[in-house]
Amino acid sequence: MNLRIEALPEATYVIPEGRLDFDAAPGFQQSVERIFSAAGKAPAVVIIDGTGLEYVSSAGLRAVLLAARAAQRAGSAFALCALQPAVREVFDLSGFSRIIAVHADRAAALAQAQQGRP
Amino acid sequence: MIARRTAVPADRGQLAVLNQFLREFWAAAALAPPGMQPFALALEEIFMNIVMHGSEPGRTPCVEVFLDGDAAESVTMTVEDDGPQFDPLSLPPPDISVGLDQRPVGGLGVFLVRQMMDTVSYQRVGARNQLRMIKSLAS
Repeated sequence: MNLRIEALPEATYVIPEGRLDFDAAPGFQQSVERIFSAAGKAPAVVIIDGTGLEYVSSAGLRAVLLAARAAQRAGSAFALCALQPAVREVFDLSGFSRIIAVHADRAAALAQAQQGRP
Repeated sequence: MIARRTAVPADRGQLAVLNQFLREFWAAAALAPPGMQPFALALEEIFMNIVMHGSEPGRTPCVEVFLDGDAAESVTMTVEDDGPQFDPLSLPPPDISVGLDQRPVGGLGVFLVRQMMDTVSYQRVGARNQLRMIKSLAS
């Protein structure tokens, strides 16, 4: 799996590409935790952009769950967007799409996240 | 149609090997790529369960995987290991209705496999655990 992080003024985007499986999950988790533990203020909005994410297993779901909790602790809004159908199916079957916001694209995720902020 | 078999030690480094084995079977059987995802997931979940929970101290079980595609467009995947007796289907399903804070971080793998496959059955065959999964590829 490749992982890119784009820190833009309005949001930090996490862009995993390829397979988020048992092998890739620990690296993903560390990279995401670094976003919240870096010096200075945590980003107001963190969005996982799933455009290039082809596969997720329970290990990947676990890493996303821990990322969502880290965001909550840091007071950052957290959402997923642009999930491919096969990945979306795993989020739906596991019930994760009921506890973590999933949006069609970056714009929708950003609009919702900004609306939810005080 | 086509059948393939492989055997690996229950070592987490073998996950990529098994994934490659599945991809080669899929290509050889000329099956449509989107149908492979549930099998990739089931193979990872079941294999990693054996890696993490299926060993006695000092001994690494051997895991055998059989893939079988029949003319009726269904694929059967059988995973066998020679570890201690364990039926993954005996695990209680996780409570997927609870919120972000209470949500347990484990226990999802076997649940997902059962959701994605048409049939999942466990048998203890001699000194081996045998888990058989069948899914139709017809949409």
